[in-house]
Amino acid sequence: MTTPAHTGAPGGVDVPVAAPARHLYVHLPFCAHRCGYCAFVVETGGLDRRDDYIAAVICEVEQRCAEIGVLDTIYLGGGTPTLMRPRRIARLLRALADRTARAAEVTVEANPETVDGAQLDALRAAGVTRVSLGAQSFRPRVLERLERRATAEQVEAAVRCARRAGFDSVGIDLLFAVPGQTAADLEGDIARALALGVDHVSWYELEIKPGTALERMGAAPPDEDDAADAYERIVDALTAAGFEWYETANFARPGHRARHNMAYWTAADHVGVGVGAVGTAGGLRRRNAPGVDRYVAALRAGREPAHAVEALDADTRRRERWMLGLRLADGVDTSRVGPPDHPVALDDLEDAGMLVRDGARVRLTHRARFVQNAVAGRLMDFAA
Amino acid sequence: MNGVTEQTIRNFCIIAHIDHGKSTLADRILQITGAVSEREMRDQILDSMDLERERGITIKAQAVRVHYTASDGVTYQLNLIDTPGHVDFSYEVSRSLAACEGALLVVDASQGIEAQTLANVYLAIESDLEIIPVLNKIDLPQADPELHGRAVADLIGDDPDNVLRISAKTGEGVADVLEAIVARIPPPEGEPAAPLRALIFDSVYDQYRGVVAFVRIVDGGIRSGDKLYAMQTGLSIPADQIGIMSPRMVPVERLDAGETGYIVTGLKAVGDLRVGDTLTLAHNRAAEPLPGYRDVKPMVFCGLFPVDADDYPDLRDALEKLSLNDASLVWEPETSQALGFGFRCGFLGLLHMDIVRERLEREYNLELLATTPNVEYQVRTTSGDEVEVHSPAELPAPNSTEVIREPYVRCTVLVPKDHIGAVMELCQERRGTFVTMEPIENRQQIIYDMPLAEIVMDFYDQLKSRTRGYASLDYDLVGYRESPLVKLDVLLAGDPVDALSMIVHKDLAYARGKALVERLQKTIPRQMFEVPIQAAIGGKIIARETVKARRKDVLAKCYGGDISRKRKLLEKQKEGKKRMKQVGRIEVPQEAFLSVLTIQDGAKK
Ligand SMILES: Nc1nc2c(ncn2[C@@H]2O[C@H](COP(=O)(O)OP(=O)(O)OP(=O)(O)O)[C@@H](O)[C@H]2O)c(=O)[nH]1
Ligand SMILES: C[S@@+](CC[C@H](N)C(=O)[O-])C[C@H]1O[C@@H](n2cnc3c(N)ncnc32)[C@H](O)[C@@H]1O
Ligand code: SF4
Ligand SMILES: [Mg+2]
Repeated sequence: MTTPAHTGAPGGVDVPVAAPARHLYVHLPFCAHRCGYCAFVVETGGLDRRDDYIAAVICEVEQRCAEIGVLDTIYLGGGTPTLMRPRRIARLLRALADRTARAAEVTVEANPETVDGAQLDALRAAGVTRVSLGAQSFRPRVLERLERRATAEQVEAAVRCARRAGFDSVGIDLLFAVPGQTAADLEGDIARALALGVDHVSWYELEIKPGTALERMGAAPPDEDDAADAYERIVDALTAAGFEWYETANFARPGHRARHNMAYWTAADHVGVGVGAVGTAGGLRRRNAPGVDRYVAALRAGREPAHAVEALDADTRRRERWMLGLRLADGVDTSRVGPPDHPVALDDLEDAGMLVRDGARVRLTHRARFVQNAVAGRLMDFAA
Repeated sequence: MNGVTEQTIRNFCIIAHIDHGKSTLADRILQITGAVSEREMRDQILDSMDLERERGITIKAQAVRVHYTASDGVTYQLNLIDTPGHVDFSYEVSRSLAACEGALLVVDASQGIEAQTLANVYLAIESDLEIIPVLNKIDLPQADPELHGRAVADLIGDDPDNVLRISAKTGEGVADVLEAIVARIPPPEGEPAAPLRALIFDSVYDQYRGVVAFVRIVDGGIRSGDKLYAMQTGLSIPADQIGIMSPRMVPVERLDAGETGYIVTGLKAVGDLRVGDTLTLAHNRAAEPLPGYRDVKPMVFCGLFPVDADDYPDLRDALEKLSLNDASLVWEPETSQALGFGFRCGFLGLLHMDIVRERLEREYNLELLATTPNVEYQVRTTSGDEVEVHSPAELPAPNSTEVIREPYVRCTVLVPKDHIGAVMELCQERRGTFVTMEPIENRQQIIYDMPLAEIVMDFYDQLKSRTRGYASLDYDLVGYRESPLVKLDVLLAGDPVDALSMIVHKDLAYARGKALVERLQKTIPRQMFEVPIQAAIGGKIIARETVKARRKDVLAKCYGGDISRKRKLLEKQKEGKKRMKQVGRIEVPQEAFLSVLTIQDGAKK
């Protein structure tokens, strides 16, 4: 590991001195119940700690004010941020107001069953510009498998209310490759998702994560061909409906790409606050520990919350940038990111129709985007 | 050694079919003679290599000296050599026999005579050794000492009363074995006063001592510090330290005629010393060297390639050192288009190949890739040249080939009578020609001449499974015979991969080609591109399968908190690829190169 960047690297190569980050992630961990597939940092009890928690988050922002610049994006993720109720979110956004750019994108993850029209209006009034609604599926069988509480109707109602509230962008999250999800289920989800007229869709392949209820049940993922069929179908249907497939799992109508997530994928520095939040700036990746009680206690006592720091050397950062950039339809800007470990592989892959070079940009072809890990493995030495 | 004369020395080895209890008998002898304390004792103590202990078999012959005070009140020096029983290592047995005057022939009293019992008896008789027959495992309820005792006596032309009955496990009867050794095995007959002649019967490279030679002194003697001369290689060797194995290395001042021991040669370079060579004194040379050993002929060959090309020099070094301890291993550099630089190695059989590879990997910390094994072929070209072919790649083109000959072995199978049909059927399927058949005790000895190439595949496994484990097998090279053989090439994505080629009988080529590509299709994982796999003979495609291209290799979700995890996933994926060999654009797992060995079954269906 090289010297932490903000002390200035000795050789000085490719390790910029950290400027304050323009992107902030805030983790709001409370949920009513843990869904069967979810491995996020979540707490399902102790809702009476919500005021303390918001206060602690504001303290952490203050503590780390040197790291946080004028914010171009703010992302309130969860957990279930909407369980915090609009007034706590408003309080947090007020505390950030001084450092929020005028045209900032402010996203809140919203669980459809927790919001109504009035609440969405209040969020809009508090400065939220974008909502991302967790639908996951519209099929009762699939929702049951996932242990999701929001019904298809609740999702549709939430989208309508969000529209009326006047957000700049309304998006939904969906899942495929759910064990037991049939081709007909998928077609149903595609049709209903498109009928909603949302601006943004994140359509993730379900990962069966260790420790989740789904994993304990011994659920098996579909085989590669079935998962590929579903994925290809989703990409085809959404692009045909006018969405841009701008990132591996993300689709947006023109002008509606998620700016905050784009910051992740272009490896821009960002700060994460709250339990379990992760941020990367100046070659250091910081991960706050989980545990609301300990988090609140530390900040109340004026201490830093528990966290771990991973130093990323120049090569690791370059490899991550390639890994992330290859996810994007726009690809990697080699003039910013640096060369791959195996520049010859670029020629081979280009000859094989897997990538396109366009000035300093390297983009994967449509087909190659489905096998981007294999492509990344050819270009880069991912070595522990 | 004080007061030891040749008259009180006995040199013998323990020979038997695999698993009949040689090493266990050696344990008891070491114990009774006090060579090993109770505390140090463990089962099959002479099987000191990790591999031997894990597999429960002896791989290397092992010499050890013990002292035994017999009922006549005289203390004898016993030099015993425990030998391996597996057919691949019969060369170890013949080398050991050359250092002895007698042999303990161990036969499992519950199983009786097996194929290697016969083979070893013939070797011992050929070397003119005194054979002491011993029925072992009489503690087993299914032991039948009466029946098997008569059969063994018959085999060696001895009186059934002379067949000892023991249990090496419980120790019962082992004292009688020691008395018989002293009484029946003649003392060595060297000339203590003649110029030194010592036979090098084994050697080893020791990290600290350098090259160590194990010798049997036939005439004369060695004193520590003597200057020695190797009669074949002309090498001068200072006998800086000499000693005996008991079973640890114990230095002594002198080794005399009739004794066995070791010499720390001071040689640092391996490859100079030759097993079978005769050592004499530099300043008082013997006139004639000892007969030495016949050259062993390797039976199977395969390419060994370092998985990491940078390890090539280390592999050469490891092969040099290992050959010193394994005189039957031969090797020469080989270059493969697909696999880069490596060595073509010759082995005594598949077990030997497996063991050598594993020893190289473990003892020398290498990661190796072994290609499909093959036998040695002889080719007469149209221009009249005779060529020896050790790999399919070396086979001359069909239009310049006049004749191809392949090695044949005479196979001896011993089997209970109700399995005769199954054995004959298998031998016929594998291109065997019947030679003869005769009963031996309650069993049938069936002899076939078979192409060695057929044995090298899974013949032994098939033999065992079709006779419910009752058959035993021995074989010996009988020469080369003309055969209609062709080279079967394998093409991955249109390019021939030399390391996957094989030489097959023309009538079996289609079936094997088909089975091979099917097998490869299952072994090679999906890649970024579709990979056609083809089998071809002389440019004509005879079978084809396809490994489909990967269709999805992504991790769908990746947000800020996920980047490290995602990167680690790619790292893990890369780690997995290290077990693969990159052949052109294709990643081929190591097992693929051994696919050929297991396609026999498929070929029949
Ligand atoms: N019951 C019983 N088992 C025995 C006796 N002698 C040996 N065994 C068992 O037979 C098996 C083989 O014994 P080993 O001494 O390794 O046989 P080996 O002849 O040296 O075998 P290789 O060196 O591989 O040819 C072991 O499991 C021993 O414990 C005996 O007298 N009675
Ligand atoms: C951080 S979660 C929280 C959002 C919100 N609480 C909800 O459940 O709607 C954001 C999104 O991640 C996705 N997600 C969660 N667990 C996942 C998993 N195991 N595999 C793939 N996607 C997952 C879901 O689509 C979810 O909407
Ligand atoms: S999926 Fe969303 S609602 Fe469900 S437990 Fe996870 S964070 Fe909470
Ligand atoms: Mg043994």
